[in-house]
Amino acid sequence: MVKKLEYQDLREGQEFPPASFQLDAATVADYLKAVEEDNVIYENSGLVPPMAVAALSLKALINAISMPPGTIHVSQEFEFIDAVSTQDTLTSLARVGRVQERGKLHLITIETSVLNQQNKAVLAGKTGFILPVE
Amino acid sequence: MTTSLEFKEGAKLPTVKKNITQDNINLYAKASGDFNPIHIDADFARDTPLGGTVAHGMLILAYISQMMTGAFGRGWLSGGRLNVRFRAPGRPGDVITVSGSIRRVEKSEGYQTIDCDVLCSNQNDEPVITGDARVEVKDNENRG
Repeated sequence: MVKKLEYQDLREGQEFPPASFQLDAATVADYLKAVEEDNVIYENSGLVPPMAVAALSLKALINAISMPPGTIHVSQEFEFIDAVSTQDTLTSLARVGRVQERGKLHLITIETSVLNQQNKAVLAGKTGFILPVE
Repeated sequence: MTTSLEFKEGAKLPTVKKNITQDNINLYAKASGDFNPIHIDADFARDTPLGGTVAHGMLILAYISQMMTGAFGRGWLSGGRLNVRFRAPGRPGDVITVSGSIRRVEKSEGYQTIDCDVLCSNQNDEPVITGDARVEVKDNENRG
């Protein structure tokens, strides 16, 4: 198991190791059930909901950083650049955007991008967390 | 399903209403791989400042994406942008209403850029997520 990075050690510009993942039809079906999404656009099309791609890209992030209890996900930006299908193999890249300490809180933003197997960007995001200073 | 929304300023986006249940939260944890105990472990969550389990912010954000897909179809999947703040947690038992309206429409050659305000609120009319969304829709795009 890869050791998680402690959030106190994060530095602006620091990059995380790339993480590859694929959203197969079963994973997409589980996701659609969880969010109760029944748009016909996803029926037998192989299309993946963009927020499923986003969730899996954040999973890689969550697995990479050790965050204390009390961490709050405060803000989120996403750009859905291109549609993703269940045939695609995706790679998530992430780097630390900003790190600020304000009193008893840390503000951290993480920038993510997801590329497909052609190295084309399909999603970009910026995630903001507030963490209590321990 | 994609609605026949008219792209004009002030137009309301089709509302989405969702009941948050612990079952949905557990399913989302499995689908997303986010098993933070604050979402799924009632005993753990009871002893935190939140006082109980809360839904993943990304689960509720997915409802906004659902509304946008319903309104704009494939244009949202390859040309959508979201910028939101999480204002309050969604809890099991909450009823979340997702709403939005078109703030601005900019016409360009062959496509339109549409800016929207989006909101998730709970049954007490408290904002859970606020923000904005942008989508580019090609003039000849099939929205279904």
